[in-house]
Amino acid sequence: MSDCQHHWVMTNVKYGFVIFEKCYHCKELRTYFTEDDSLLLGDEYREGEHFYNRLESAQSFTFDLICTRCNRLETFNDLIGLFYCTSCMPNCQVEKLQQQYAPHKTWIMVAFGVLPDAKKNPIPQAKLDILSDYFNQRRDTTRSRIKIVSFELIADLARCKGGFIHDVGLLTKEGPSEERKPLF
Amino acid sequence: MPNIISLQTIKETLNAQIIVADSGLDDMIEHVYASDLMSDLLAFGKPNSILLTGLATKQAVISAHMAEFKGVVFVRGKLPKDNADKYARDKKIVLLSTQFDMYESCVRIYAAMSPGVLPTSATIEEQPPEHTLLSQDFHIQGRDFSNAGNVSTEIKEILKKIGIDSQISRRVAISTYEGELNVIMHANQGTARLIVSPTAIEVIIKDQGPGIPDIEMAMQEGFTTASEEMRAMGFGSGMGLPNINKNTDELRIESKINDGTTVYMKFNIEK
Amino acid sequence: MTVQELIKIMGLTPLSTFEDREVKGVFISDMVSDVMTAAKSGNLWLTIQTHKSIVSTANLADVSAVVITGGKKVPQETIDIASKYNIALLSSPLPTYTLAIKLHELGIEAE
Ligand SMILES: [Zn+2]
Ligand SMILES: [Zn+2]
Repeated sequence: MSDCQHHWVMTNVKYGFVIFEKCYHCKELRTYFTEDDSLLLGDEYREGEHFYNRLESAQSFTFDLICTRCNRLETFNDLIGLFYCTSCMPNCQVEKLQQQYAPHKTWIMVAFGVLPDAKKNPIPQAKLDILSDYFNQRRDTTRSRIKIVSFELIADLARCKGGFIHDVGLLTKEGPSEERKPLF
Repeated sequence: MPNIISLQTIKETLNAQIIVADSGLDDMIEHVYASDLMSDLLAFGKPNSILLTGLATKQAVISAHMAEFKGVVFVRGKLPKDNADKYARDKKIVLLSTQFDMYESCVRIYAAMSPGVLPTSATIEEQPPEHTLLSQDFHIQGRDFSNAGNVSTEIKEILKKIGIDSQISRRVAISTYEGELNVIMHANQGTARLIVSPTAIEVIIKDQGPGIPDIEMAMQEGFTTASEEMRAMGFGSGMGLPNINKNTDELRIESKINDGTTVYMKFNIEK
Repeated sequence: MTVQELIKIMGLTPLSTFEDREVKGVFISDMVSDVMTAAKSGNLWLTIQTHKSIVSTANLADVSAVVITGGKKVPQETIDIASKYNIALLSSPLPTYTLAIKLHELGIEAE
């Protein structure tokens, strides 16, 4: 079974919304995915010790990967989104990787786990490699490749100008905003 | 001569599943609009169109209704969530779902179009509208996205009932919808007042929101910078003011920071 | 047909610098979610979405080019990132549906 040269396809695709919330007291950021369309816009609300305030909601989707050869299922419900680096900080590990891999025509993408859990238990690199494999299997790898790394490599989240690959501006008049809203 | 096609033919050529078609599939479609960006549809969509979209939400159906579309086709087998079907049933909009993707759907509809065939039913002679003076107030609940579109829908129906030309009522509906969304996104509550006179329709939307810091800037197409407070709400920015501007004959905006915004819109009724 | 050939035939305007490649099929969507789930390598992606995240999406899905339809203005930042990643970013004044029909008449089929 472990001999399988896995060939991954997406399965269990669900469309919904990624919500970013921050507690004004402890500054903790939390994220979650919901399929609920009613999109209650965030007023502050209390939950135990925390006063959560919605920072942003974006349309997105969740998925799992399944191997078409051995049926192995790899779940990705702990992935809140993929993120692109804009080379904003020269000392950022992500940017260093970008420069290191660019001559090999390999593009770096950053995976975010569900916060705050992912800060303690990040998505293992082995799983991110499966995700990289999936995107590479979909592409013409003679031209270029994708490598997905974990968000902990970002030097300073509060200063990072990178952005999530999420859908923006579909429902409202909100034009495509140039800058990601400050989340961290 | 425009190419036209019936909803029935679209259903057949796309092998589509009917989600809502209480009003039948006899209506003729003049334009096809393939998009997932609702702001664009409200700004550029033409009446008697069909919307092809991958955005399977109630907002897509509301936007289609505001732009006077006859129907919505959800591509790639998507089915709308929440109560999009109920809204469509109420507003007599046809909802279909096809397994084909957007490109294949465009191509198939184009291939099935019969150029230059006019609808068989003769246009009914319209009674000249009775010029009743009308004034009515509506409440807009802020932060309540689930009811977005209720007020503009209601106003659109009133205008239809009293015989206002559909071109004008469509512009009123689109502008009111944009204004309504602004209130929902940025304020706790607001009001809309509809005034119909023999020569014009006026809609005045007031809110007790954070106000617009720079109206001139907000009027620019693609304006995005929102105040910190609006950003914190998670949604605001573009405001849809340029789109309102495009659809009104007269537009005045008064806004005070931390006090609120009043949007005055006027639509002339041409004889 | 390659991206460069398509630019000439369809009168598209190239916005970014890119490496030429073969166009295989067309994908239409303004949702990056849909492109990430369903677009295929080599597809020509038609959209009116101009936010810079379309570049990373195009990169992930390995599309051959992104065509911004309806003559929509594209932010300079989006163009710059496209050039950086060698993603062909093109512009057409035609609405999505009309351009799709023209591509079909040119013989580019869905993949
Ligand atoms: Zn396997
Ligand atoms: Zn960075």
